[in-house]
Amino acid sequence: MGVSLIVMAVALTVGWQILGAPDELRAAREVSTARWVVYFLGSLLFLLLIAGLVSIVILLVREVRLNERQSNFISAVTHELKTPVASLKLYLDTLQLRDLPESRREDFYRTMRQDLDRLNATINNVLNAAMYTERPVVDPHPLDLGRLVRRGIELTRTRHQLPPAAIRFHGPEAVMVRGDAGALETAVLNLLDNAVKYSKEQVEVEVELSADGDGHVHLRVRDHGIGMSRHQLRFVFSRFYRIGPEVRRSRPGTGLGLFIVRSVIKSHGGTVSADSPGPERGSTFTVTLPGLIETPAEHAPEAVADATRA
Amino acid sequence: MPPAPRVLVVEDEAHLAAGIKFNLEVEGYEVEVVDDGTRALGRLVSPPPPAEVFDLVVLDVMLPGVDGFALAARMREAGNFTPVLMLTAKSLPEDVVYGLEQGADDYLAKPFELSVLLARIKGLLRRREWARGGQDAMGTVRVGGAEVDFRSFEVRVGGDVHRLTLLETMLLKHLVQNAGRVVSKGEILERVWNLSPETETRAVDNFVVRLRRYLEPNPRFPKHLHTVRGAGYRLEL
Repeated sequence: MGVSLIVMAVALTVGWQILGAPDELRAAREVSTARWVVYFLGSLLFLLLIAGLVSIVILLVREVRLNERQSNFISAVTHELKTPVASLKLYLDTLQLRDLPESRREDFYRTMRQDLDRLNATINNVLNAAMYTERPVVDPHPLDLGRLVRRGIELTRTRHQLPPAAIRFHGPEAVMVRGDAGALETAVLNLLDNAVKYSKEQVEVEVELSADGDGHVHLRVRDHGIGMSRHQLRFVFSRFYRIGPEVRRSRPGTGLGLFIVRSVIKSHGGTVSADSPGPERGSTFTVTLPGLIETPAEHAPEAVADATRA
Repeated sequence: MPPAPRVLVVEDEAHLAAGIKFNLEVEGYEVEVVDDGTRALGRLVSPPPPAEVFDLVVLDVMLPGVDGFALAARMREAGNFTPVLMLTAKSLPEDVVYGLEQGADDYLAKPFELSVLLARIKGLLRRREWARGGQDAMGTVRVGGAEVDFRSFEVRVGGDVHRLTLLETMLLKHLVQNAGRVVSKGEILERVWNLSPETETRAVDNFVVRLRRYLEPNPRFPKHLHTVRGAGYRLEL
């Protein structure tokens, strides 16, 4: 729609010029410069008008897209919140209604614990999206990103009950950066969680951490999962964006995970990008952060303490 | 002892599916679980003709592949009239009505009470029996040139046979039982749909339009199923 409007506007300008031109040529000699000025101003105004129109259309399209995502988000959060609640209620009712053997009861308790974890994760996600903004971190501490990433991998393996080989780590022992350990841990966990969530039957994730010569730290998370199209790549970091309509959802989530990742990384003065050779061919997420080149030994213990607290 | 009723549970959330299956099995049902829409389509719609191997379907709305609304609609189109109990986190009246219009027979919002779920399932199976005949057996009824068979959920007109969903049958049965009297929309919503009489919906009107298509020689000028302006509907046998 936007494109056709632009084409129409341009056609109108050109047409108007052509219509005006013969008159102009005939009278050219007598015409005073004042008339030219009027002409020029007229064209300029007209162009301004078109520019305004075009920007309104662009804004409108954006608004509509955001609206769509927002209603998808409500749908996703409703589902993410109500599903574990429904499950908890069902199992509680079952425990209350039926006489069950001990082993069966243990099974049900385990299921309920997982539901609670899921509920908690969704709540944290929504709260984090509101809490972590792109504004620079207020009180950054030196911390070891290598340790933080390894801990994140450990946690993700436990959460999804994966063998050690499912997520492999390559990188040096310690890579120092300056930042908010809690926020960075959330970002790293979101990336890892996504890599597992969008994997196919067999989970195969490679995590690579490196520091280059110009003081940058790179974190690369690569999966062999469902991948993304060019169009999807454009929107993955947008708030509320999820692949496909919610009514045919195939994976849990709220559309906030990568939005949070981007906010956190930006607030640390870094960048994050997504890449995929195409659908069904895996995705790679790359985070670049400013590193702490002179690793001050006296700060290290503090950083570790920070990471554990988070 | 009659064979155990067979229930298909279409639910992608593993915990919910397992919980429902466990409870239904304890209640003596035979249960199969399918966790995505496409596979459910395979069990309920294709290969044609759809074998009605299940006595009841518990259907989630948000499903990978094909969503629950579309699945219910496809079932009905393909001529599978197994009663459907829809489960979903969406509980706005529009969603309820949309689900019912797509072919669901009853509707339960998540989170639900286990006792309510079991009662609804029992109710749906019983309603089917009731619509078929049950104690106040009705068998077949003639409406003008059409013959309505409440046992097989069929309307036969001339050589044509139309199959009815459970809700269509229930509505028609209610109208037949009250033939000659004006039945209000609120009464229909309450008695047939199990909804509050104040629910804002065009569902009843849509169902009446559908019934007319089966019963009336010319649906635009009904001779049997009349609309009584501002009051409701009246069926003349």
